Order: sequence, then C-alpha cells, then structure tokens
Amino acid sequence: MQTQIKPAAHADAAACRTIAYSVVLLAVVGFPIVVPGALSSYGFEVGFRLLLLMTLAEAWNLLAGYGGLVSLGTASFFGAGGYMLMGLMNFAGLPVLPALLASAVAGAALAALVSPAVFRLKGLYFTVGTLALAEAIRLFMINTSYFGGATGWFAVVDPPSVQVLYLWAWVLFVFATIVLSLYVSSRLSIALKAVRDDEAAADQVGVRVFRVKLLAFMTASALMAMAGGLQAVKLGAIEPYGMFGISWSVDVLSVVIIGGIGLRAGPLVGTVFIVALSEWLADYPDVHLAITGLILIVVIRCAPQGLTGLAISLWRRRNGRRTQTGRADAAGAQSALERG
Amino acid sequence: MTVDSSFKAMDGQAPLLQVAGLTKRYGGVVAVNDLGFSLGKGQILGVIGPNGAGKSTLISMLGGALQPTEGNIFFNGRNITATSAASRARLGIGRTYQIPRPFLDMTVEENLLVPLYARSPFANRKIVRLECRALLEKTNLVDVADWRARDLPLLRRKRLEVARALALKPQLLMLDEVGGGLVDREIDELIELVRQVAPETDGIIIIEHVLRVVRECCSTTMVMNFGEKFAYGPTEDVLASDDVAAIYLGSAHKKQGRAEGANAAAQAGAEPVPDAALSQASHGLDSIVAPPRTPSGEAAPELLRLEDVCAGYGQARVLHGLSFGVKAGQAVAILGCNGAGKSTLSQVIAGTIKPTSGSLRFDGADITSMAPHRIADLGIAQCLEGRRIFPTLSVEENLLLAARRVAPKEQKERLDAVYRLFPILAERRGQAGTSMSGGQQQMLAIGRALMSRPRLVVFDEISLGLAPVIVDRLYTALDVLRKAGLTILLVEQDVERSLDLVDTAHIVSHGNIVLSGSAVEVRNHPGLKDLYVGAGHEEPRESVCV
Amino acid sequence: MENVDIVINSLVSGVLLGGVLALAALGLSIVLGVMGLVNLAHGELLIAGGYLMVFVMQPLGLSSLLALPLVAVLMAALAWPLQRYMLQPLADKPPESAMMTTFGLSIVLQNVYIMLFHADTRSIQFGNGVSSIQIGPVGFGRIYLIGFVLSIVVILAVHFLISRTAFGRDLRASASDPVAAAVNGVDVRRVHGWTFALGAACAGVGGVLIGSIFAFTPISGATYLLNAFAIVVLGGLGNIFGTLVGGLLLGVLQSLGGLMLGDGYRDLVGLVLLLLMLALRPQGLLGRKGG
Repeated sequence: MQTQIKPAAHADAAACRTIAYSVVLLAVVGFPIVVPGALSSYGFEVGFRLLLLMTLAEAWNLLAGYGGLVSLGTASFFGAGGYMLMGLMNFAGLPVLPALLASAVAGAALAALVSPAVFRLKGLYFTVGTLALAEAIRLFMINTSYFGGATGWFAVVDPPSVQVLYLWAWVLFVFATIVLSLYVSSRLSIALKAVRDDEAAADQVGVRVFRVKLLAFMTASALMAMAGGLQAVKLGAIEPYGMFGISWSVDVLSVVIIGGIGLRAGPLVGTVFIVALSEWLADYPDVHLAITGLILIVVIRCAPQGLTGLAISLWRRRNGRRTQTGRADAAGAQSALERG
Repeated sequence: MTVDSSFKAMDGQAPLLQVAGLTKRYGGVVAVNDLGFSLGKGQILGVIGPNGAGKSTLISMLGGALQPTEGNIFFNGRNITATSAASRARLGIGRTYQIPRPFLDMTVEENLLVPLYARSPFANRKIVRLECRALLEKTNLVDVADWRARDLPLLRRKRLEVARALALKPQLLMLDEVGGGLVDREIDELIELVRQVAPETDGIIIIEHVLRVVRECCSTTMVMNFGEKFAYGPTEDVLASDDVAAIYLGSAHKKQGRAEGANAAAQAGAEPVPDAALSQASHGLDSIVAPPRTPSGEAAPELLRLEDVCAGYGQARVLHGLSFGVKAGQAVAILGCNGAGKSTLSQVIAGTIKPTSGSLRFDGADITSMAPHRIADLGIAQCLEGRRIFPTLSVEENLLLAARRVAPKEQKERLDAVYRLFPILAERRGQAGTSMSGGQQQMLAIGRALMSRPRLVVFDEISLGLAPVIVDRLYTALDVLRKAGLTILLVEQDVERSLDLVDTAHIVSHGNIVLSGSAVEVRNHPGLKDLYVGAGHEEPRESVCV
Repeated sequence: MENVDIVINSLVSGVLLGGVLALAALGLSIVLGVMGLVNLAHGELLIAGGYLMVFVMQPLGLSSLLALPLVAVLMAALAWPLQRYMLQPLADKPPESAMMTTFGLSIVLQNVYIMLFHADTRSIQFGNGVSSIQIGPVGFGRIYLIGFVLSIVVILAVHFLISRTAFGRDLRASASDPVAAAVNGVDVRRVHGWTFALGAACAGVGGVLIGSIFAFTPISGATYLLNAFAIVVLGGLGNIFGTLVGGLLLGVLQSLGGLMLGDGYRDLVGLVLLLLMLALRPQGLLGRKGG
C-alpha cells in the first residue's frame, strides 16, 4: 500500500501543516467539552462514536498503512480490551483509568502471543489469518461460561454520563494521535516502511524485521484494546457478538481505505465521512453499509490514496505543482511496466 | 584446463572470506559445484563467466539469501554458513543486487537511514544524519537526496545500491553486476566510485559482465563455468587466456565434448542420435513446419521486420533503435554478450515487453502493441529463455497446449512429428514436464514451439547451462528443421554453434547492432574475439562488452 | 455400545457433510490457485446460490435436480461481468487491492440480501420429504446423503474438466506461469474470467446444498468463508482432491468436536484447524511448498 505522495523536500512544510491541522482538529473536537451545552446528548453520542472510531482507525492505519500488515482482526483486540476492563472493574473493583491501562496491556500481550504464528503468514494469508483469529476468539468466548458465554457480563458500576464518556474518548484520541505522531517521526517508522516495501531487502540490510513488525503490532493492538475498554464502559454490558463482532474490523478497514491508507490524515477524513454518511442514512443501516462497500470498491479502483489523496492532488494541481505530480505519475506508470 | 596461479594468504591472518566445497543443487540441476576460493584483506576479486555459470547463485549464497546444499563459508575465520542474511549484514557483509532494489517509495536519504539505523539503533539522530550526509557525498547523490528512489535514473539507482551497502560499514562488499546497462561514461564514474570506496572496506568481490570494470578494478579474477571454478589468477593473465575466451565464444566444446562423449551423454540422458534416426525424423515434418509460401532465401520477402526499436525496463533503456529483418526461410542469429539486450529483444518480439518506440511487423501486420497470445496466433512461436516448461502439465500436455484450435487428428500428426524428432519425449510423454533433465526440457520447449506449426520460431538461449553434447543434439535437430524450411531467429550466447547453423548474424552490444553480415563474414571478422573478451590495452571504440 | 453408535453416527454424518463442505470450498480453491485471488466474497456467493434457489427456482416450480445446473449457469453468468469489470482492471495493482475489492463486494452483497430478502433465516426444501435413512446403527437425514452424492459428482466433473480438457490445460498453465502461457497462445485474461465464473458456479451449487442441510441468513457467509478457507489450506490450493480430502477431514473433525465439546464448538474446530495449518504447514497436507 502506498505512502505519502509529498516529496520529502517539503517535509518541513508538511510537518507544520500536520501540526496545524492536528491542533485545529483537537480544538474543534475538544470544544464541546469545554463549552457545556454546545452539543445535545445525542451529539455527544455521535461524537463518542466518532472519536472511538478515529482511535481505532489511527491504530489500524499504523498496522496496515505504515506497516503493510492488512489485518481483519481488529475485533480480537477490541474485544480483549473490553473484557479485560470489565473483568477488572467488576471483580477487582478497579477504577476506570487503571483498568483502561490494563486493557492496553492485554491488547499488547495478545498481539505478542499470536505474533510468532501470525507473522509467518505472508501477504494475503496474513489477512485471512487475522480474520480467522477474530472469529475463533469470538466463538470461544460465546462457548466459555467463564467469560459469561453468550450473555456476557454486566457492569457492576453504572456507566458515567455521556459527556464524561466523550471526554475520555477525546483523551484517548489525543493519546492515539500523539503516539502516531511520535511514531511517524521516529526511526522506527523508517524501518517499518522498509519492511513494508521490500521485506527481503530490508532483511539484507540488517533490519530486525520481526521486532519491527512486532512493535507496530503491539502498539496498534494496545490502542485498539483501550478503545474496546472505553466502549465497554459506555455500554455497561458486554457480550461476544458486540465486542468481538466482525463489524469492528469491517468498519475500521473501510474507514481507513476510503479516507486514505498510509496517509496521516486518512483515518480522520475517512471516519468523519463514514460517520456523517451513517448519520444521514441512520434509518437505513443496510443501505448505508451497502453504499460503504460500493465506495470502498470504487476508491480502490479509482483513488487508491483515498479521499485525502484526492484532496492532496487537487490542491497540488491548483498550486501548479505539475512537475511533481507529473514525475510521480510517470514513475507510477513506469513501475507498472516493470514486470519482469 | 585451468589458468591457475596459487594464492598466498596474508601471513598469519585468517583470510577475510574463505569458501570451501560450496555446492548448490536444485533437484537434478547443479548450479554451483564444489567451489572453493579465498579472499584476503585488501583484495578486490572479480568473478566472471558466461550466463548460467552460477555467479548469481554464488553471491546469493555468500550474502545469505540462499542456503548451500553442501560446503562452508568462513568470514574472518568464523563459520557463517548457517547464519541468516540479516545477521551477516550486521556482521559486515554487504551486497548490491543485480537489478537495483531500493525501497522505491522512500527517498534516497531514507533509503540510507534504514541500514544506518539498523546498524546503530540507539545512536544520536544528529550523528546518524551526519553519517548519512557523508555517505551521500561520497557516492555523489547529494543533489537527489530527497528524491524518491522510484524516480531515479539507472546510474543513480546503482549508486544508491552501493551507498546502501556501504551504510553498514561492511568489511566485505559484494557488487553484483553493477556495470550492466550503463554507457561508457557512466562506467567511468562507476569505476571511480569503486576505487574511492575500496579503502573503506576490507575486501570487495565484483561480479561482472562488463570486463572493463574487472580489468580496471580487480587485482585477481576468478572465472566460473558450469558452476565450477574454471580459472583463477591475476586479472591480466586470466583475461588474456585463450581458454577463457573460448568459454565465452563457445569453442570450448570442440575440445571437451568429443573426449567426454558417451559418459556425459549417459549422464545427461540424451542418446547420441545416429544420422539414420534423424533423417527419418526429417520426413513428415510438414505437420510442424509450414514451408515458406514464396521463394525463400535471398529473394524472399521479409517475414519479420524490426524498425528502430527502443525498449527497456523502468528506468533502464536497453535497446536503442534496433533495426533488422528476417526473410522467410532464413536462419538469423542475434549474438552478443550479456547485458547487450538480447533477452530484452526476445521479449519485445514475444510481446511481453512493449517497445517505447519503433515498430515490429510480421508478414505485413503491425505487431508492435499486440498481446502475446495474439502474436502467437499469427504464427510466431517462442522457445523461451529458461525453457519455462509448465510443471503441472505432463510432457504431452505441454505439447498439446501449443496446438490450438486444431482438429484432434492433426494434433496427433504434429505430436508424432515432434516425437520422431525427439524420441525421448515420447518415452516420457506422461511424466510431469519438469521432471526431466535440463537438456530434455529444452527439447520439450523446442517441440512445444513447433506444435503450433509456426512460420517463425525464436530460439532464446537454448544452450544455456547445458552440457556440450546435449547442445550438439539440439543443434542437429535445429539443422533438420532449417533444412525443412523453417524460418529461424536464434538468440544465442554460443557464437561458434550459431554461426555453423545460420545464414546471417547480427552482433548486439549496448542495445545497438554493431556488426552484421553473413555467417562467414562475421566468423572471419578480426574484431570478433575483441567483441567478447577484449584483447590488450587498446579497446577499439566500437567494441562492445568492454 | 450406545456410545460407539453415537460416535459412528457422528463420523458418518461428518463424512457426508464433509463432501458438501468440500464442494462449498472448491470455488475458492480454484480461484486462489489459478488467479492468486483471495475471494473474501466467496461466502456471499454460496448464499447467493441459496437465495437463487429459494426465490427463483422454487417459485418456477422446477424440480430440485433440474434447478441445480440452472443455478450453476446463472451464478457463472452473474460472476463473469464481476470479474471482467471489477477485478480485471486491478491486474496491475498489488494483490491486496483485488482482495479488498472482494471484501467490499461481500459487504455490498450481504446488505443487498438484507434489503431484498430481509434478515430471516431460510432453508431449502430439497426433494420430497426430509426422511431419515437408517442403516443398522447409523442414522442420518436423507439430505446428507443426497448432498454428499451430488457434491462428489460435481467435484469429479470439475476434476475432469481441469485435468482432461483443453480448457483445463490452459487453466493449469495460466496458474503456474501466466507469461509463458500467454506466449504459447493462451488468452490468460479470458481464462481468468472463466475460472472466476466456474468458481462462482461451484459456490452456488454448494450453497444450495448447504442451505438444504442448514438454515442460512444473509450474514452466514462469513462462517462458511472461513470453513472453506480451512479446507483449502488443509488440502493445498488448487488441488481438487486435496479439497475433497480437506472437506471430509473438516466434516469429521467438526462432528467429533460437536459431539465431545458441544454443538457451539463445531465452527470453532474449523477455525482452530485453519489457524494451526496456516502457522505450521501453509502448503497443506497434500500441497507443495510455494503456494
């Protein structure tokens, strides 16, 4: 999957832009908290969903966009986090914050546990393997009474108000954004990009491929698990279909690909678009999903860099950076010729 | 028959690299056979040899990408045979790839940061960036530091390859065919780069086809042939040796082949065919050889015509305006050393690569942008380089595949004709296509090409990697086909045999035809040997591989 | 003795079911083996066969046996343009693009089913009556036997197609070396189109049979997809007999798993098996390395 189009000569400008947008985004998203009454209760609900999905999308983008590890197993870690949090809150009486951190650890631990097996799977098999993992865990949870079976668990403590939940979701999202930003500017991201581009060549130049992939996997999984934990807090009652359901994996993938995989703004743009779409079609959930699927197909074919990529190339064209786009296009066309 | 001069290890020190008994087998095919040599500190070794000699296999085994079947590799006295490629990189072995493999979607600078950080994961970022800058300056890549690797032209990509290998501060640097596809001026720059880089490493191995690079950079040269060490010694001596020239030109078989005779034949599974059998085969070839419609030879119209064809892969321009024609009933050879563009040419004719400019016409029809299967339908058959037999089809199925849209009765007639030409195929008709020896697979490939009753057959490097006796057999069959009227385009490395068979020959170098003429004219051309190996210190500017 | 009877019953129905599962996986195996395409919409193609039967064939009053080949033809006809216009244009892109496109397709199909047919559970009445057959201690629904026999017939027919016909030669050649195939005159794009259509036809028929044994809903596809995957990985891709063996094995293991651990564990057995195979022996029990 491709990465940023912008040539690094403009890296500094790009960095500034990213920072600026991030600040604006965080402000916009954070302001309902600061200004009470700005949003209705329902607005906070939607906002919560939006922020949670954004967090998940950022994490998935790290794995699939930057790491080339296209996973259909988001639900595994989401659910693991949810159950871990609920379990600790119910049976150990922990307050939310430590429980949330514990769920992050749970996510990372699960990732570490399955990584030796899952990383052996190359390319498309990796995707199928993660899908199988998620489904296996779901079925296991349904059939295991220790985890409440198909009924699941009920929270002992009442969930807090939706405004508080929104705040927590916002904090989590900020945290995820910081983690991603740190990551993208670190040396790890260079190693991971190399592994994604050409694993054999990366190996040959001394990159410790397994460790690099593992770190990205654990980071993403921890974030996903925390999102799951928050969802559990909000729901007050969790069960396998909701927590480990494939819809989490599907939504996250659609959001990122439509938004622009491998691009920093991709998950954000995609989430806003999809949530807006689902609100607009709130009365027709099947139509909404069918349209999402159609858009996914079209985007893959016609705009592989997603909506963000489209926006960037439009903006470039308007600013007359024809040569850059031209060279990129030519190179892309030529690499299509580079077929043995 | 080796040109040998003994190599003395630097006193007391373990050599930088020592290879003993190195062998690589793929099923029945031996790519490298019992190879042994040493590389001392400060030495630059050149490794040359014809295509298929095992050079790339050797470097892959040294780098760790391939595991040897037998043998050991010692680096600074330490046995690294079982060490992984990444660990070897960290130990200090760096290599470049024949076809540059930079990280395409990363910038040049980022490409270098990868190995730099891999080597020192916790080093201060500023220090690493400074090292990166120094490396960019040394390899003259500063001005493209923020270009994406995908956008680099070929020479820069090769520099990037070298730079990336250097980033690991390798003790042993292995350069795999860096000179290919470059023009003279660029080769000057490359040689300069190697000279500059030499003091930073403890030893360099250069695998090359471009002999000028070897001549000017390497003190010692090893020649490989058929996976074995054919010659080893000071570069000048090796390159001046007649025996070495012979293995490139192909006349080595004249001395070897007859002497080994039956033994080799039995091993390779090809029966020496008495002439009677072959003359029997030459009857009934009409089912597979469409006789030329009009008079053939000089007066015939051109069946295939290439006009100003330019082609390449990605950034590399390989063919620079090639023009020639093949008349109906003729046999034409395209010769030239590796990297000259022969295989690109075959792929252009087959339709698997599209030329960037120029045109191809077959019997009047423009095939320049036609899909490969439609070109095949028009009557051009390919005997592909590397044979490309389908492993999941039997011998007979491989043959039948090519006889398309043809009534079963005629299919059978064609099969019979091919079986008469190559009886061993009839014996093995139900076996999997790739279960046979290399020579037999080549026969199958030739037979498959004939099954479509083609008007022109392109034979691409059929002698590659095969023992001389087998190649004899193949060429005898080709002769039978030629006499039956088949139009033949032969792309070959083996000069002697080709000139024995064909009417006309063209020599290709650096993507241009540099010499054309009848077989006799080309054979007697004084510069022929120069074209392949280069003699003395004066290289005539038109000469080719050097 | 009673326990042994139960186990034998379990084994027999497992084998019979396995045949049907193998047919359900056949399409996936062929498409993956020949085109290298992971068709994540395969489950939805299975379900499509079921819906075709319920909403088209049965209302037309066609006998079940006659309806099957019609379902196959219709599925092929519907699938061919999907490959030609949706997947073929992605030929120059990395393989993830095609896989993600089939994923998008599966989302679309699932929801189209919900919109058209509602989320009700459906099942197919195959033939007359749902009588059971009793042979000695062993008893099973008649539909299991019918399903098994029909599946074997179709599998053998496909095997014949691939190993004995000219099209089959073209298909195998395209799978192992598409460039060499093209140079020898094979229109590889056309082969891919037909292959996908064949895969969909097999899926449709398999779906009808599965729908006769189990009920199905618009979203049942995912489970069947993973089961099919387990079978394909067990048997080695593109290997027809391997798929049959894989199916039989999975059927038996599912039956025994359900017997020993409880019915809810049936599907889990398949998934665990898939994960184990992927991790330990991705080329399958019968396959060759490098799949």
